Amino acid sequence: MATDPMDEAERAIRFWSGVACPNAAGRRALDDFPALIAELAALRGGMAFEEEPALFEAALRAEKEQEA
Amino acid sequence: MSDLALLSATEAAEAFARGEASAEALVRASLARIEAHDGRLNAVIRLDREAALEAAAAQDRARAAGARLGPLAGVPMMHKDMYYRAGRVSTCGSRIRRDFRAPVTATVLERLDAAGAIDMGTLNMAEFAQNPTGHNAHFGDCHNPWNLAYCTGGSSSGSGAGVAARLFAAALGSDTGGSIRLPASICGVTGLKGTQTRVSRAGVMPLSFSMDNVGPLARTARNAARIMGVIAGRDPRDPTSAAEPVPDYEAALTGDLRGLSVAVPREWFFDGAEDVVVKGFEAALAVLKGRGARVSYVSCPSLRAVGAYVALVSRVEAAAIHAEWMREHPGDYATHLSARLYGGYAIPGHLYVEALSRRGPLLRQFCQEAFAGHHVVATPTLRMRVPTLAETDIDADPDNWARHMAVSANTRPFNYLGLPTVSVPMGFDDRGLPMGLQLAARPFADGRCLMVADAYQRDTDWHARLPPL
Repeated sequence: MATDPMDEAERAIRFWSGVACPNAAGRRALDDFPALIAELAALRGGMAFEEEPALFEAALRAEKEQEA
Repeated sequence: MSDLALLSATEAAEAFARGEASAEALVRASLARIEAHDGRLNAVIRLDREAALEAAAAQDRARAAGARLGPLAGVPMMHKDMYYRAGRVSTCGSRIRRDFRAPVTATVLERLDAAGAIDMGTLNMAEFAQNPTGHNAHFGDCHNPWNLAYCTGGSSSGSGAGVAARLFAAALGSDTGGSIRLPASICGVTGLKGTQTRVSRAGVMPLSFSMDNVGPLARTARNAARIMGVIAGRDPRDPTSAAEPVPDYEAALTGDLRGLSVAVPREWFFDGAEDVVVKGFEAALAVLKGRGARVSYVSCPSLRAVGAYVALVSRVEAAAIHAEWMREHPGDYATHLSARLYGGYAIPGHLYVEALSRRGPLLRQFCQEAFAGHHVVATPTLRMRVPTLAETDIDADPDNWARHMAVSANTRPFNYLGLPTVSVPMGFDDRGLPMGLQLAARPFADGRCLMVADAYQRDTDWHARLPPL
């Protein structure tokens, strides 16, 4: 029998975090997720993990505007 | 001088430095304006009247003694109620922290104090800085000075409304997904989110460790430049703050855009944009062209991934910060905030790590797409006209969720990318509410954003308009 993925998400949140759905709007907040998951799924395979150590702060410095 | 409260931050500092106004007179003018108008706006959470007058008197004594004056000496400021001052309450706009007395003082407040600014108290904000409209169930919604039925933008609601209404000369806001630029755009003032790591966050309520930023809301780009020059720079108390030297932002405001190239991304920022916003934006581009800038449309395919990943980072980090409170007393949050936080617990850890690990590569890609041959990126700050408080109130009607979240669609990408971004007023929509022009530049080119914004403001007067209070 198929289960509602939102029910599954609620169970997983309670299981992992001990947080209960606070109100009806909380359930509504999960409504965004199918679209977000679809967006993330569309990105699969598009970028590889970089194996070398990296910091975002280093990327900021590397992309600084060069002096004219 | 007829009403000292109408002076911008740099005008007030200069009037004080020239001896044309005392700091006490500047503060009293602000206090009078707050008394006259804040009953309807609800921008102020706590007014520190006596402390402000004492600080002003100290500035007046220093000037009389011939002491060297700071760049913000005598300037009345107030700040979003999330900047800690030791011994005073920082509510963070919440019931949970209604009585929280901060154990430390934020570095940015210490720097503003040292520059001579007068801290008059704390400002309304979205609860824990977590909505883009400024709704607050605990202290009451802040109202847009251009029309009280409309939202102020958030989360720095009191900062935007108060600067627009001339209750004080300038304010600090914070920006994790647009919380400086949105109220700046929606209330018709100038707001700067600096490069990620540019300004210390020590002593500042955290929302998202990866994407929080401190910055000014003020009347003009020149005002923002002066304040940024005071607050930016390495802070030993914040190991994430950058050691890059802080340039003289004000000295770079030449007004000269000859040779400047402006890129306008074709993707993302115009998806579903309302016609009046697009027309206002095109008019703003014409002003930049009139000063010698070239404008080109560019393709930025990286924005699709940026848009997906930015949705993960702040939600997961906020959920982690609030987990104990969400377990113990979720009913102390406003409905919309507990709902928003709740969603953060559903996001798998591996996707959060993926989002963080791709931040650097996506920054590199975006810079290649947008800044190769170009100096700044321009977009509208909002795609939509300013919404009313009622039509973005999730607590009253969860059906307003999508409209509420759409407010920050154009600002969020720059938080993920960590880029400096400013919003300046670019006119009014057909309902008389302000619209904003957003300008972004490469990392640490905060001064480039301010220079273009200042040049734009030399040929427009949107920033000088006074709301009809």
